[in-house]
Amino acid sequence: MKKTNLLFTICALLFSALLNPAHSQEAPNQEWNQFRGAQRSGSTDNVELTSFTDKEPKLVWKKKLGDGFSELTISGGNIYTMISERKDSITGDEFIAAFDEKTGDEVWRTKVDNMFFDTFGDGPRSTPAIGEKNVYSLSSYGKLSANSKKDGKTLWQVDFMKEYGSKIPRWGFSSSPVLVGNNVIVEVGGTDSRAFMAFDKKTGKEVWKKGEGIATYNSPVHGKINDKECIIFANGRKVYSLTTAGDTLWTYNSPISNPTGMPIVFDGNKIFISAVRNPGFIVLEVNNNKAKEISRGTSMKNDYSSSIYHDGYVYGFHVAALQCISVKTGEKKWTKRGYGKGSLIRIGDQLLVLSDKGKLIQVKATPEAYIELGNIQAIDGKSWTAPSFTNGKIYLRNLTEMACYELK
Amino acid sequence: MKLKKLQAFFLFALFLTPGILVAQTAEEIIAKHIEAHGGAEKWEKVEALKIKGRFTAFSLEKDFTSYKTKCGAYYSDLYLGEQHVFEGFNGNCGWTIDPWQEIEYARNINSSETNVFKQKAEFFTPFLNYKKKDHKVEYIGKENVDGEEMFVLKLTREDGKSEKWYLNTKTYLEYKCEAPWVDFAQPVPAEMYFDDFREVDGITIPFFIERTFWQRDRITQIESVEINPKIDKSLFTMPKRKEISKLAFMEGDWDVKLEFMGRRGTYRERGTTESCIKFASTNLLQEKISYENGFPNNLSINFTYDAGTKKYRIAAFNDFTSTFDMFQGELKDNVLVMEDTQVSYSDKPNATRMCRQFTYIKIDSNQFTVENKVSTDEGKTWKPQARLTYTRKVEDTLSKK
Repeated sequence: MKKTNLLFTICALLFSALLNPAHSQEAPNQEWNQFRGAQRSGSTDNVELTSFTDKEPKLVWKKKLGDGFSELTISGGNIYTMISERKDSITGDEFIAAFDEKTGDEVWRTKVDNMFFDTFGDGPRSTPAIGEKNVYSLSSYGKLSANSKKDGKTLWQVDFMKEYGSKIPRWGFSSSPVLVGNNVIVEVGGTDSRAFMAFDKKTGKEVWKKGEGIATYNSPVHGKINDKECIIFANGRKVYSLTTAGDTLWTYNSPISNPTGMPIVFDGNKIFISAVRNPGFIVLEVNNNKAKEISRGTSMKNDYSSSIYHDGYVYGFHVAALQCISVKTGEKKWTKRGYGKGSLIRIGDQLLVLSDKGKLIQVKATPEAYIELGNIQAIDGKSWTAPSFTNGKIYLRNLTEMACYELK
Repeated sequence: MKLKKLQAFFLFALFLTPGILVAQTAEEIIAKHIEAHGGAEKWEKVEALKIKGRFTAFSLEKDFTSYKTKCGAYYSDLYLGEQHVFEGFNGNCGWTIDPWQEIEYARNINSSETNVFKQKAEFFTPFLNYKKKDHKVEYIGKENVDGEEMFVLKLTREDGKSEKWYLNTKTYLEYKCEAPWVDFAQPVPAEMYFDDFREVDGITIPFFIERTFWQRDRITQIESVEINPKIDKSLFTMPKRKEISKLAFMEGDWDVKLEFMGRRGTYRERGTTESCIKFASTNLLQEKISYENGFPNNLSINFTYDAGTKKYRIAAFNDFTSTFDMFQGELKDNVLVMEDTQVSYSDKPNATRMCRQFTYIKIDSNQFTVENKVSTDEGKTWKPQARLTYTRKVEDTLSKK
């Protein structure tokens, strides 16, 4: 072999190694910096995980945490999430808080609202979005706040109920904001066409408003449909596609009522939307800014847990059964019971499933069969919050504590 | 030749009568299903079951204990999320204490709940002695469920409510059931899934049962099954409310000595009568008593406890006057004082009205005395009017009435 060829081969191998990192390595900058991760899809690609049975996940830390169901978002060495703490049996505070990613120790906390009490579990449901310098959160009583990532200082706050006549939903304001350009976009549920709004990230001032309807539990999707950047909202029985400037691209009267799970955009122009009531799910196809239902079925009924799309199949919790269905036909490929109303994310070609009682299960993301690669009892108690993943570590939360496991 | 033709005709006719074939098939399936559960002979010896394990609701797993009897009685002590729930059923009527409904005492169950309690009272499979229980079974056919072939049977209970059961064609054990259920006392359709079948003293039981209805998920994980345990049958009876139970000293059949106040200010005996006092409901004690004091009085006296005012109440109906009278009071130091000073039957104040008081004194298990007094100064002073002395009847003196 010529020297030049050898040098080229070595360079190619090194380059390839960088592009295809092995065992729990991932492409850089894939932080879990908002609800459902960087792409709001619950998925991270270019990561290969070792089987739990070959190498059991190692507990890095486990910490007590104020009540809540907000996902753990991770960026720049910190975890940001929403928590709440009781003062007594009827009063308490809700906070946006930061924790050290390495130790789980609290870095700061800032009160954003009063505590939300509920017999099914106290605390906030919304997940903050992390920007370059600030973190943006929506409290249970509808206060959108911007806080400095550094010290938690409140930069601005907008009160939806006071300013826009929004009414608190049964389980509190739960929509998770999304950052698009200079704006933070979120469901408001206000009066006078203020169902969805964009606010200036720096000032909190209203940028645009759109749509009708009260506040529900759906979070906006930011993606591309037919290569056009758009924001998808699904509230009540309507699906909206808006430009990032708030102009309507199209709307669709949907048979799916008040979906809580995130809509999934796939194949460039299709949207999967599911909710717990009939018909269960629909698939919309968008062409020339017109949406058309191309399929529907009862084989996937997402409650509060969002599904995952992967290679033509949807993996998710059909009420309380982990299921894989063909997105084309709705055909059920496999079902696994016993995980209650759990949640899941996809890391490479594996699903990491968290049962509603804190069992973490590693499952192959394949329609062929339910193939379990291992499991651990990672946390205990009511676990309704989906896991977060970054830098080879998984971050889990139940109602009252959080934990970090190294998946190497 | 004719005989052969006749045989062929009958065979052909039989072929055209699928009902007969289907009925045979359903019976065969059920026979094998019972066999898979350990066999009818073994189940025949089962009088009752005590089941302990873990029950998950709203993602919270807690201990539970249940009892089921052959005659269809059922009791369970469980947690629904954080709330402690009790359920009882005597085979016909049921009750529940369910704090989710913000009712802290035992209440009667509705018709949809009754159907659910009947399901809960089954020894796991409703096909055991299904004919004796007046269940009707129809074989629907075969169906693929979650990749496995199932026999599908429709079971209709005597109340007309039906369930669809899916039995695995290989094991003959149940895999799935679709049945009417309840959520916060409202009817909802439910799906049940059965797994982890284990043998206990020769009978086979599913140790994992998952039930989903609407968006709810309930998981029962059995940890132990005791066959023919000792059971306190009072478990199945609707418990009385704690406060009304304190009046249980009145329950029973009584001889009652009647004394009325004479003109000289002393009591004069006016004979005896009988009284029957029974609990009519979880918070209702009822007395029936008749006596004559010049005129015939037939009284129906209802005792209840009002949690709001934390006081006992009496609503007494006298058929002579054909009116209701109300009294309210407290039980303190073994003396129950009931009076109508706080009860107003008119919007207008009446300075000269006559108030009445009934005082239950000298209370023990076999005797108590009721003193009737009146007041014309809104209860500041009371004048005795009558005294009724209750003595518990012994078995051989019980009136045939």
